[in-house]
Amino acid sequence: MIRGLTLLIAVLMVFGAVPAQARDAFLDIQSVTSPKGISAWLVEDHKLPIIAMAFGWQDAGAVNDPAGKSGLTRLLSNTLDEGAGPYDAQGFQAELLNNAISLSFSMGRDDFTGSLKTQTGDKAKAFDLLRLAITQPRFEPGAVKRMIDGNLARIRSDMTDPDWMATRIMNDRAFATHPYAANVGGTLSSLPHLSAADLQALHGKILARNNLKIGVMGDITAAELAAVLDQIFGGLPETAQTVAVSDLDLQHQGQTFFYTLDIPQTIIAMMMPGIKQTDPDYEAAVVMDQIMGGGGFGSRLMDVIREKAGLTYGIYTDLSELKHAAMLGVTTSTKNETLPQMLSLIKTEMARAATTGLTATEMKAAKGYLLGSMPAALTSTDRIAGILLSQQLNNRPIDDLDQYRQRLAAVTLNDVNRVAKRLLTPDRMITVLVGHPANLPDKTVPVSTLPSVE
Amino acid sequence: MFVINRVFLFTLMFAGCAFIRMNPAFSADTLTTSVERTPSVFNAETFTLKNGLQVVVIPNSRAPVVTHMLWIRAGAADEPESVGGAAHFIEHLMFKGTPRQKPGEYSRRVRELGGQDNAFTGHDYTAYFFTITSEHLETVMKMERERFMHLGPPKSDIASEKQVIIEERRQRTDNDPLGALTEQLRAYLYASHPYDKPIIGWMDDMKRLTWDDAVTFKNKWYIPNNMILIVSGDVTTPQMKALAQKYYGDWKAGPLPPRDRLSPPLHPANVTLDFTSGDIRQPQMMMIWLAPSYRQNPVRSRVLQVMMETLDAGAPTRLYQDFVVKRKRATAVSLSYDGDMWDDGSIWFSATPADGVSLKDLQQDFIAFLDETAKDLSEEEVKAAIKRLQHQAIYARDSVAGPAMMIGQGLTAGIPLNDIETWPNLIETVTAQDIKAVIHEMLRCTPSEICQPPMTAYITPAPQPAGVPK
Repeated sequence: MIRGLTLLIAVLMVFGAVPAQARDAFLDIQSVTSPKGISAWLVEDHKLPIIAMAFGWQDAGAVNDPAGKSGLTRLLSNTLDEGAGPYDAQGFQAELLNNAISLSFSMGRDDFTGSLKTQTGDKAKAFDLLRLAITQPRFEPGAVKRMIDGNLARIRSDMTDPDWMATRIMNDRAFATHPYAANVGGTLSSLPHLSAADLQALHGKILARNNLKIGVMGDITAAELAAVLDQIFGGLPETAQTVAVSDLDLQHQGQTFFYTLDIPQTIIAMMMPGIKQTDPDYEAAVVMDQIMGGGGFGSRLMDVIREKAGLTYGIYTDLSELKHAAMLGVTTSTKNETLPQMLSLIKTEMARAATTGLTATEMKAAKGYLLGSMPAALTSTDRIAGILLSQQLNNRPIDDLDQYRQRLAAVTLNDVNRVAKRLLTPDRMITVLVGHPANLPDKTVPVSTLPSVE
Repeated sequence: MFVINRVFLFTLMFAGCAFIRMNPAFSADTLTTSVERTPSVFNAETFTLKNGLQVVVIPNSRAPVVTHMLWIRAGAADEPESVGGAAHFIEHLMFKGTPRQKPGEYSRRVRELGGQDNAFTGHDYTAYFFTITSEHLETVMKMERERFMHLGPPKSDIASEKQVIIEERRQRTDNDPLGALTEQLRAYLYASHPYDKPIIGWMDDMKRLTWDDAVTFKNKWYIPNNMILIVSGDVTTPQMKALAQKYYGDWKAGPLPPRDRLSPPLHPANVTLDFTSGDIRQPQMMMIWLAPSYRQNPVRSRVLQVMMETLDAGAPTRLYQDFVVKRKRATAVSLSYDGDMWDDGSIWFSATPADGVSLKDLQQDFIAFLDETAKDLSEEEVKAAIKRLQHQAIYARDSVAGPAMMIGQGLTAGIPLNDIETWPNLIETVTAQDIKAVIHEMLRCTPSEICQPPMTAYITPAPQPAGVPK
């Protein structure tokens, strides 16, 4: 054991002296296809004896929860590693722990994802455990019950978190009438009724080969990976049967919702229509978002509302996208007494940016950050694997990161101001307030019960 | 969700207790450049400038990126009693400008160059960091020099920043029904030792804070012989020797203020906090013991670290198997030890009860669990835990910022760099017998040098459900 460790350390000592390689491409991504036709993106890097794999199934997210069974997809992500093949839950977890392998599954509204990280010396074991988890999960009743109980406790703990409450109300109202409105974590009443049979049925439908995307980073060659892909994923069904979902326009635009909670600060969440990554103005929108509030310190909203007015500890904007909706969000908080001032400042700043525009200086700084910060994403194995996966889940081409850099660099102030006018639309904003403010805006709609929680 | 920027205050130390897998004691040999020949986790190199500034370099050329951290060996526990929150206030004001640097300009410039910057305050330290591509390292070091030497924010910015930290307190603590409880736990646990107060300060203290309070703290403690520069990433030691000398080499050393802290008084009785609230939905119980930090007792501290890995490394280990799988008494359990403190650390147990299990019963269950473990813990379990910790050590290198963070926390907690580097070897000798001895002390606690009765907290929802419009 100790000899093994010493060897690894010796390897580390050597590469400390290797100079950083000049790169033409942002990331040297290879496309690898297995004999069975399973493909993955790979960035080879043999400096550390570590391999990270990020994998995901498109359209296999919580939108697949059957009616009355909300939380089922999430429960599937909790139970795949709770016993599989020859191992019961304890046995499976012990194999992971004792071989220093991390394996986890996760899901969002659209997709179902997972990640694996192992040292090179344990890779055979790691790949086999992953194969078992995705192809032969056991769903033993005891393990399923434990995971359900854990989820119930999580929900009850979340019910004291005002940020979580605001997000829950926002998702319910902004995505109303659409599967996105459901609580992906399940509800206190739905979870206890979920069964191993439900999990088995869902598992057979959503995890297949035709909706699978894989990103790999680290100490493995393309030839080796090709063979490994078939070993791990070859046993999955060919075709997924996922639920079809329609596109959505944000609902309740222009409305403000309010939930009373006896806390000293009011939590503020806002959402307005955003922009898709495929839109020609997407990069201009990224620059605009960075200037307004995406960048934290130095952004307009942070400058006016935190630095000058001292009204909040933080205010952020966020461009986000689901497969069927695009959003521009604002999150912040302020003491109950200053809520009216806060809301008015946010709207004024948005309107000002939309009408009088942003400056060339701000654009230069924002582009400097967006372009200059990209290498910082390349410092850990699993993070790079995650980038490779998310690019594929978003259906981006393999050279997209390089193209993205060029598109960003080419954005002009006209582009930024055009998109500011288009996206900064305070009158279309859905606003959720959680707290105990003295003065509420006119026509605020009270929310008496947290939606889809109990 | 909020992206937490400036200051990850470790106010939730009890809840957080991230068990940093490295070890905590400051000795003269950390101030040399001699290279240790034992296998080391980070391969850090260190040297000290003439003014006493210790520099640690962790070369890692994987990406053209560096993380630069300046650690001050002083934090909230070093404030005078009357100015609670000054350490954290000055940390915020460091971003508010000098005669030649406009408020916020430091961060704006770092962003423009593609970097990220922030700072945080603990009880024993304050740290400032940025991560940026290596080509811009020198530019930012020049700005760093400016604000450390010539800090002088405009009055209006001092006033607005005071409002910002008050909002920070509301957001992090006062908005959370468990926030006040966490502060109360700490106040009782560390009674009259300065760890008894929240890092950010009590609200009343914060309202009284002035620029004088903040800058007095800075002038006293921010001296090079009380600071550590840690740089991790795409940089070499010769490069850092030149840069550190050029920008920080003329900072004037000063008399090192003594850390004049009382020990936590020894409590003869168990303390139980019973907390019932209408805003709480999920019952929970906790038990907390004071425990020696690594600096106070390295041998005991290593035993505690191995003990945590042995008993609670997740689902396959004893604690989870016993409470959640076999006896179904809880839906979640955790046991952790925080030894990365200059003075006393703590052991923290928490459990979420299964349906129908009372919090009092759960407390008895944990005592019984410890009793059982003291009887039948096997050498194999302990050996397996040590092997796991050693096996995982390699992952610590798979990051640029991570190693700088771990080494900074360790050094400011008084752990020698050599111990941080060689912890996989140092834990090798821990035995089941050592762990049993620790458990015996936890169970049969009578006031003594390293042991006092635990605190227990019961957190119970009030009958009235949360969120009913009032």
